[in-house]
Amino acid sequence: MGGLQKKKFERGAATNYITRNRARKKLMLSLPDFRRLCILKGIYPHEPKHKKKVNKGSTAPRTFYLMKDIRFLLHEPIVGKFREYKIFVRKLKKAYGKTEWSTVERLRENKPTYKLDHIIKERYPSFIDALRDIDDALCMCFLFSTFARTGKCHVQTIQLCRRLTVEWMNYVIASRSLRKVFISIKGIYYQAEVMGQLITWLVPYQFSHDHPTDVDYRVMATFTEFYTTLLGFVNFRLYHSLNLLYPPKLDAKTQSELKEEDEEDYAMDSESYLEKLSALSASLARVVSSAEEEEAELDQFPVEGEDMEKMEAREKEQKQQEAQRKMFQGLKFFLNREVPRESLAFVIRCFGGEVSWDKSICIGSTYDVTDETITHHIVDRPNIDKQYINRYYIQPQWVYDCVNAKILLPVEDYFIGVTLPPHLSPFVEEKEGDYVPPEKLKIMALQRGENPANEQEEDNDEEEEEDEEEEEDDNADEEEDDEEEEEEEAEEKNLKEMEDQRSQGKSLQVKVTPGKVKVENPARLEQEEKAEEKRLAIMMMKKKEKYLYDKIMFGKKRKVREANKLAAKRKAHDDAEKAKKKKARK
Amino acid sequence: MAAARRLKRVAVSQPGFLTLKPSLDPSDLVSGRRKRVNKNKKKNWNKHSDINDVEEFLEDVRHQERTTGGLLSEKSDDSLFFLDVGQPKKAEQKAEESVEGKKRKGKASRPLRIDLILQHDSLVPPAKDVLSYQQPNAKKLRRIAQKAEQLAAKGVVPRRQRQLLNRRPVDRTAKKSATEANNNPDREYYDMWGQESKESADPWYLQQTGKRQVKRPEKLNEKPSVLPAVEVIAPGGSYNPDFLSHQALLQEAHDVEVKKQKQEEKLERQLAFNKEDKATEETVLREQVEGLVEEENEDEEAAADDEEEDVAVGAIALSEKKTERQRKRERAEKIKEQQRLADRKQTDQQQQLFQLRSIKASIRQREQKTKSNQIKRKAKQEAQKSQPRRLGKLKFQPQDLEVQLSNELAGSLRRLKPEGSILKDRFKSLQKRNLIEPRDRAKFKRRLKVKYVEKRAFKEIT
Repeated sequence: MGGLQKKKFERGAATNYITRNRARKKLMLSLPDFRRLCILKGIYPHEPKHKKKVNKGSTAPRTFYLMKDIRFLLHEPIVGKFREYKIFVRKLKKAYGKTEWSTVERLRENKPTYKLDHIIKERYPSFIDALRDIDDALCMCFLFSTFARTGKCHVQTIQLCRRLTVEWMNYVIASRSLRKVFISIKGIYYQAEVMGQLITWLVPYQFSHDHPTDVDYRVMATFTEFYTTLLGFVNFRLYHSLNLLYPPKLDAKTQSELKEEDEEDYAMDSESYLEKLSALSASLARVVSSAEEEEAELDQFPVEGEDMEKMEAREKEQKQQEAQRKMFQGLKFFLNREVPRESLAFVIRCFGGEVSWDKSICIGSTYDVTDETITHHIVDRPNIDKQYINRYYIQPQWVYDCVNAKILLPVEDYFIGVTLPPHLSPFVEEKEGDYVPPEKLKIMALQRGENPANEQEEDNDEEEEEDEEEEEDDNADEEEDDEEEEEEEAEEKNLKEMEDQRSQGKSLQVKVTPGKVKVENPARLEQEEKAEEKRLAIMMMKKKEKYLYDKIMFGKKRKVREANKLAAKRKAHDDAEKAKKKKARK
Repeated sequence: MAAARRLKRVAVSQPGFLTLKPSLDPSDLVSGRRKRVNKNKKKNWNKHSDINDVEEFLEDVRHQERTTGGLLSEKSDDSLFFLDVGQPKKAEQKAEESVEGKKRKGKASRPLRIDLILQHDSLVPPAKDVLSYQQPNAKKLRRIAQKAEQLAAKGVVPRRQRQLLNRRPVDRTAKKSATEANNNPDREYYDMWGQESKESADPWYLQQTGKRQVKRPEKLNEKPSVLPAVEVIAPGGSYNPDFLSHQALLQEAHDVEVKKQKQEEKLERQLAFNKEDKATEETVLREQVEGLVEEENEDEEAAADDEEEDVAVGAIALSEKKTERQRKRERAEKIKEQQRLADRKQTDQQQQLFQLRSIKASIRQREQKTKSNQIKRKAKQEAQKSQPRRLGKLKFQPQDLEVQLSNELAGSLRRLKPEGSILKDRFKSLQKRNLIEPRDRAKFKRRLKVKYVEKRAFKEIT
């Protein structure tokens, strides 16, 4: 006992955390500046485990930061810039108040600015780190690039965002890395695979903004400021990885083609280049101009056994992917004026198709409606007056569905005026036993290369197959038994017949039939063996494990049951729809 | 006077000197009686010596110099005289004509009189201003220049120049980029991850001036939430959804709405007051006359209180001192009790030997319980990683689900009406991932009251 009484809140959690206001005072910044700094530096508030200990006995909700983080912020050179900017604003205000215009001009010229390059480098030490975090940047840039230039945010920011997004889309086209597209009621989701990273981003529909009031624009603008810098550097690196010029230049060949038109109608000289780039119809210039892209081939290694098989499988997969990437190769699309041009042009070009549109919609159209070589004409209206006989008139959903299915789907379901099949989300991955909508089953069948002629029946078969798959495992052995029994029965029958014949006193018709080789299906045998093993394993289980196993199996079965129920519901719904239609027709 | 006369004689009588003024006659100079003055004092020398003749002479010399540019006596005869032979008549006439012509012509060309007056008419050139030709420190500078020349001849470059040469060329582009705004749409990018380190200056210098970059702690690169940056909407949110997935999404939205409604109802229930608590006429009256009407009950109560107090005082007084015997007995009892408890404990412990099995079982049970608790806690922590944390005054409010009812669904892409705002979606996503704390919009507070005045024009109408 004895000694000084230890003071409260001078050790432990209380010293590890700092409230926002104290941090702000420590950095000598205003609250908006502090918030901006935290966003730029990637420092986020923390929720302490024991609030009362941290908050000096009070339970009032507060925002806490880690003390170490704030101490780290003290070293940031941008903090000084923020203070300079504050002083600049003060001086400017004063000059305005005194109507000293020369001073205002001088101050404007020497406006303090800052760069975020060092922060990017610090936060993302390697390129892959940056690429992993690019989702947010893409979403934000795409969002800001669709804003109207009405002062909700700086016009220059909007322009920069537009430039960066156009560059990104051109990269995705050049690298053919788009994987999935999903048209939702919110916007269009895209997913691309860049350098092994899956990157998802959301693009808003054009002209769809009502500016919500409960969003802090300043915060969003700060995030965008950071992300534009990040995206720019990432773009640069990606372009160089493909040997493309950065900033992007149009290919000389295509450029000369485009030149023929009069460009003044569309945009000012300063903007026309970006516009042409954003048309997405032309390919980009390369540093080393090569006539054809070299396809990277897998190196061949002399290997044996399983590795060989794996290798082959991988090769096959690679080939399949290659084929998918060239899905639209050789097809010529024409976009009617009512379809979303940019999205469709982007998707079609990503898979190697050629695309054009009416001259009056946008710059960069390459051929006319009258072109005889057009294979697909994308239309989104109930009927069209003048139709060419040698092309398909289809609705835009076909393009997106093809991309998600990874094959060219039959066009019949997507003709003008036809009720479209549902647009399924490619982001849903069904596990075994989940309910799979029949449309998806159809697509899966098509992918497997089955004949879609007798759709309905196959559909049903598919469903049943799916349903029974689970049970099959369990019942496999039983079926085996059944078959054996059948064989035995047959033998017995033969014997009986022979006996009958003998009893009737007839001499036996002794005949030597040539022996048949009992065909043994090795795959079948293997399966049997496996099933047997499984059964034995189940038998050998301990009581506890057996209980668990039963539980798992029960869960699976329940899932299947639920899926069946959903399927039945769906069928009922479909039937009802059909009946309704029939009635309507009558 | 004699001296003056002598001087005059000296000046004027010089051989070949011509006076310009004819009035100056040497004979006039000698006149009158002379005055007697002591000449042994310097003062008198100045006062009484006549220097007029010298002055006049000097004046004459100056006059001659001014007007003719030198002493007349020193000029050659040709420059002073010419032979007058008379002029031919014709020439005279011509001259007259020419003069007339000149007059007419010269009206424009003749200088103005004021200019003539101001003209410098003396033939003596103005004196040189010596100071204007002087250079301060001329000697020193000359010496320095000489030395520099010598060094240059040797090939030695002076220090100043050497410094200038050694200075690095100023990077113009760098300065330009420093003033460039961060959101300039034409800004340039470079390969950031290409070159390894661009440490330009001396590390010691950087450290001492506090310009070195501080290493970022590894922990800061961890994300505060495990949620993905972009959460894809449920399959029912497709513009042309599958029937069942659309129904599922609708169900979800419905559940959310029902929950909200329930909460509202609950709040209303809690706020509702009991009808029996409502003030009746009677209670209102009683409240109004509270304290005005004296009641007898109070007196009785007061009396009762007094009695109780008496009792309490008596009880304290009644407690007596314990006797020695009593104390002893109590102590003995206490010791006995302790003994008993100790015995009991010992027997219990001995008994536990026979309960080993059950004890073991209970321990196992407890262990199992802690293990399951651990697992539960871990699972909870995992689940919390994807949950939005409480970061400020406000709790995170999830966004309303974007849903289109069956009759709102557009059959085609052209007629699709977008639902919800992506801006809000992004904002909420940032909040959900704990990157920013949820906040309310700052309320506008008016500092001064607004005064409404009806304008006259408006008044007339109403």
